[in-house]
Amino acid sequence: MTTLAEPSVVPQHAAATATHCPYCALQCAMTLTPAAGRAVPVEVAPRDFPTNRGGLCKKGWTSAELLGGAGRLTAPLVRGADGRFTETGWDEALDLVARGIRRTRLEHGADAVGVFGGGGLTNEKAYLLGKFARIAVGTSRIDYNGRFCMSSAAAAGSRAFGLDRGLPFPVEDLDGASTILLLGTNVAETMPPFAGHLAGAQSAGGLIVVDPRRTPTARLAGDGAGLHVQPTPGSDLALLLGITHVVFAEGLVDEGYLAARTSGARGLRRSVAAWWPERTASVTGVPAATIRAVARRLASRPAGDAGTAGRPAGGTYILTGRGVEQHIDGTDTATAAINLALALGLPGTPGSGYGTLTGQGNGQGGREHGQKADQLPGYRKITDPAARAHLAAVWGVPEASIPGPGVPAVELLASLGRPGGVRTLLVHGSNLVVSAPNAASVRSGLGRLDLLVVCDFFLSETAALADVVLPVRQWAEEEGTMTSLEGRVIRRLRAVAAPDGVRDELQILAELARRLDAPSAWPDEPRAVFEELRLASEGGIADYSGIDYGLLDAGEAAHWPYPRGSTGTPRLFADRFAHPDGLARIVSVARHPHPEREAAAARLTLVTGRLLEHYQSGAQTRRVAELRDAQPVARITLHPATAEAHGIADGDPIELGNDRGRVRGLASLSTDIRPDTLFAPFHYPGDETANLVTSDAVDPVSSMPEFKTAAVTVRRIIVEAG
Amino acid sequence: MRPFRIVLVGYGPVGARFAEELLPGLRNGRIALTVVGAETADPYNRVLVAEHAVGAVGLDSMLIADPDALRDAGARVLTGVAARRVDRAARTVELADGERIGYDRLVLATGARANIPTLDGVDRPRRDAGTLERFGDRLIGADDPLPAGVTALRDLEDAARVREAVTAGARIVVLGAGVLGLEIALAAAHAGAQVCVVHHGPHPMPRNLDRGGGTVLGRALRRTGVSVIAHSRAEAIAFRDDADGRRRFDMLVTADGKQIRGDLLLLSCGVTARSELATLAGLRTAGGIVVDEGLASWTDPAVHAIGDCAHVVPRGTEPAAGGGLPGAPSGLIGPGWRQAEWLAAQLSEEAGAGAGASGADAVDAVMPPEREPVVMLKAEHVDVVAAGRVDAEPWDDPADGTAVAQWADPEHHRYVKMVTAEGRLTGFVSVGMPRTAAELTLLFERGDELPADRSLLLRFDGPDHDPAAAADAFAPATTVCWCNAVTVERIEASAACGAASVADVGRDTRAGTGCGGCKGRIAEVLARFAETGGAPSQVG
Repeated sequence: MTTLAEPSVVPQHAAATATHCPYCALQCAMTLTPAAGRAVPVEVAPRDFPTNRGGLCKKGWTSAELLGGAGRLTAPLVRGADGRFTETGWDEALDLVARGIRRTRLEHGADAVGVFGGGGLTNEKAYLLGKFARIAVGTSRIDYNGRFCMSSAAAAGSRAFGLDRGLPFPVEDLDGASTILLLGTNVAETMPPFAGHLAGAQSAGGLIVVDPRRTPTARLAGDGAGLHVQPTPGSDLALLLGITHVVFAEGLVDEGYLAARTSGARGLRRSVAAWWPERTASVTGVPAATIRAVARRLASRPAGDAGTAGRPAGGTYILTGRGVEQHIDGTDTATAAINLALALGLPGTPGSGYGTLTGQGNGQGGREHGQKADQLPGYRKITDPAARAHLAAVWGVPEASIPGPGVPAVELLASLGRPGGVRTLLVHGSNLVVSAPNAASVRSGLGRLDLLVVCDFFLSETAALADVVLPVRQWAEEEGTMTSLEGRVIRRLRAVAAPDGVRDELQILAELARRLDAPSAWPDEPRAVFEELRLASEGGIADYSGIDYGLLDAGEAAHWPYPRGSTGTPRLFADRFAHPDGLARIVSVARHPHPEREAAAARLTLVTGRLLEHYQSGAQTRRVAELRDAQPVARITLHPATAEAHGIADGDPIELGNDRGRVRGLASLSTDIRPDTLFAPFHYPGDETANLVTSDAVDPVSSMPEFKTAAVTVRRIIVEAG
Repeated sequence: MRPFRIVLVGYGPVGARFAEELLPGLRNGRIALTVVGAETADPYNRVLVAEHAVGAVGLDSMLIADPDALRDAGARVLTGVAARRVDRAARTVELADGERIGYDRLVLATGARANIPTLDGVDRPRRDAGTLERFGDRLIGADDPLPAGVTALRDLEDAARVREAVTAGARIVVLGAGVLGLEIALAAAHAGAQVCVVHHGPHPMPRNLDRGGGTVLGRALRRTGVSVIAHSRAEAIAFRDDADGRRRFDMLVTADGKQIRGDLLLLSCGVTARSELATLAGLRTAGGIVVDEGLASWTDPAVHAIGDCAHVVPRGTEPAAGGGLPGAPSGLIGPGWRQAEWLAAQLSEEAGAGAGASGADAVDAVMPPEREPVVMLKAEHVDVVAAGRVDAEPWDDPADGTAVAQWADPEHHRYVKMVTAEGRLTGFVSVGMPRTAAELTLLFERGDELPADRSLLLRFDGPDHDPAAAADAFAPATTVCWCNAVTVERIEASAACGAASVADVGRDTRAGTGCGGCKGRIAEVLARFAETGGAPSQVG
């Protein structure tokens, strides 16, 4: 293999800016160099960094295209009596929003004002948004799109370990593993440079990918690099119980670890006794022999000693993604993965571990600083009196003025315009009508509002429905911090000036707070907001108090918790877990029949997911010509046998339907998918919005909606001419 | 209001599941539960007894329920004590120690015992009502006594006997070639014992497999070192005297005079419901305790039966021409668990609705009918799954709409038969095709339609299942760099324009600039391009 110099080395000069990609949680490092006189003001070059090691995917390479201006909003838009948008001045727009908030608050109470945030916002924005909702508006009704993303894994991690940090170890630790089990994650498309960290496990023959589709990630396990396990959708929990059964039954469990570091192992052993491999096979479609093989491979970890003949040298990691988490039993499924990891003695053991792969750019930081309905900054519980007292002191407000817990995203959205529900909604960094489940009902909810305010840099599908649209800065135009999937706080730096007429969300929030006569201080500069965030998080689970911009700019690898005076925590759980007794809690979980799948015999199951070329709702990537041209329309993958049974040929326009709605796309025939499964990307708007058919039933613990198991029918459609 | 009193007799896997499902009612005080279990061990998963018997699974990993959790929720859990008598008029259960426990509902989950075949040399006690009246204390909850060197395989004591033989590398004769017999035969052979299976049918698993599947299975068994003696009806056993003077099993003698010597005879001839308590209480029994689709006794709606002791028959069903009621307990754990869950939900609802006093108001609801069970041979090196009726052959007259598709490759121990009606599976057999078997199982359980091309299902187990493996790695449209979606064609175009190195290609196409995992492949494409002098890849 050739190992020549990276093609990416770009001479660093004074005007070059070292920053990170705007998209996923891998936060690949890149350098932006001014490109004078071009439509796109900077040139992107990858930069060496532990997560991406000098690599970028197609999305990263083309990310600067969006700085070029086409379609960019540069003035506030206000919908007039005629239903059309008119550009207005900032004061006028902000006055209008503040008046609307005041009116709703007066007539219906503060909880009739809702705030919906996003996992792409910087830590500073996420923090200030939570503070704004609770202190300036006084509402408890704040939640964010991370509810659709990380909430199941977060709930499971907090329950088991007392702390939720996606990867409790640096990404490079994966390089030394000889076995990696990937459950429901397609990293080769969603965060491609991550795949480089799987190479060690591949060469040891130990990459195990569990997915109903043979994704590009599953292909990485081909050719002797490991194993692709292809269960029927919605059966992940049973599969994990079955693997854990074998681990116990065959004595592969790390008894010493269970005794010393966990509680609840006895219940776990009993709860998996009923999941012998053949029974598991009959539920999952995965042969019993495969289940045994996976269990044995996972347990072949040599607990720290050097590899000897026939035994791999590295450890074992278990990583989960949205495929197993976005279910009504997502928390229990993530818990089952954690329980398996605990039975094998992986978490906190050098060279081994469990982790969840955070999706959105700041999906990690976004869930730590107060955007969640039940949390205050620092990953504190909003019901904890000590946490409330701490924040009251930092904010200089009476503790009683901080509202209690609100409601999670799906419930918040379901209440839009309903009696007792939200009547004025502020949306930041989220394109709800594409990304929320049961999208048609969300769309009609937005239509019932008295006032919808959307902050965005483009007229996204959600912004297009707003009463007021406020244009904000994007990625390379702003400063701040992001927290990557490994809990590392990194700097986002300004490389270009924002277009005239665009404002930072921090300024918008501060301006609105002033107009609402809010108590407390409202800094509008990122550095000042971060300084306040440090104080707010101090002593919490996600403690940032020891981190400052200077430290980050100097290149420090700052993994939280990073209390003042410490040097941060790259690896968690080495000595103890974060529960008061220091033990990991094993919560036994059981599988229950899936209401929709069981009721819908003989129908097909739709799973949704992402494409290499697009990110989230596609609000950004569909505006990049190179990405849009590569994947211009929604293509729905189905097995040739399924297609044949429905009279569908490759490329035919087809429609999927169920009680919630219908979604259209072009048929893409592939034997990479199970015959009982369909796949649709969720990046597309209009009648291609996959979420028109997904269910808004939620997980009882995390309130994660059921994105991944929608029973649908499929038919070929005749597109009318004209 | 006093709580709804439920007495559960039998604390095996089905009883344990039933009790566990009552936990919410126990915790809120609506239900008072007494559990009476004859065994002293915590409830364990009997499905794993064969693996336990060969030492592959420890008892710890078989335990399936936690009696302490029940006790914490307020249940009274009595183990190591048998129920002796039911007084239906007084609604009490009398225990072996004389205690009487009152109930509003009695749930019998007494399970089944191993069937002891008629063999010269083995006594079989009668269990009719008259005998039970006289000797009930000795017969209820007790297994039939067997001579030394002869065992069934049902409980932990049986398992211990088998384990001793396996550990000693003994010769084990298994009588019966049903699923359980084959499972222990394979597990014991794998663990080092010498195993011979004797059965009277033409092929193993005759109740589940057709001739083709059975024949392929028989060959697969022999390949794994289990000898199989078919067409042999066992008639007698002969004994020898050990050095210590004890008489013990020496050989099995078949009707045609074969003498099969061994150290242990393992009887695997099916099971019989433990219904003595019901018989004695005057409840109707047949293949088990006769209950309706609401799992209530035909005779007394305050008594329920679930699991292996329950024979579910719609009320009023006439006996078949042969005399007995149709059907029988399934003998499988899945249906037993579903009955436990369903009945617990029914009784919880009743208790919550404030019944409590009168158990006579039987719930009208009926349990959804069971699908025909899927039978899987639990073994590591032989893969057999079957379900439904499989005796139809491809060339039969399809008057009833039944169609059969079949694949037989006995040389490689592979066989699949799919029996369908209107495209949906009504039965199937799969031997030696694990992935196919798993898919057929899902299709059977869901009632989904099969693909018109049935051979699709066979290909899951083929080496060509991954089309990528067989695909041309240098085809123009093959993706080389996934991170940047760069194809062979694009790299060749880059090479044609002068890119000579992986780095050059990266600068031009971004291939290899993501995770870097494809740099080797890019070098291959370049090398091949140079070799062929720039000939386009599709020419060949």
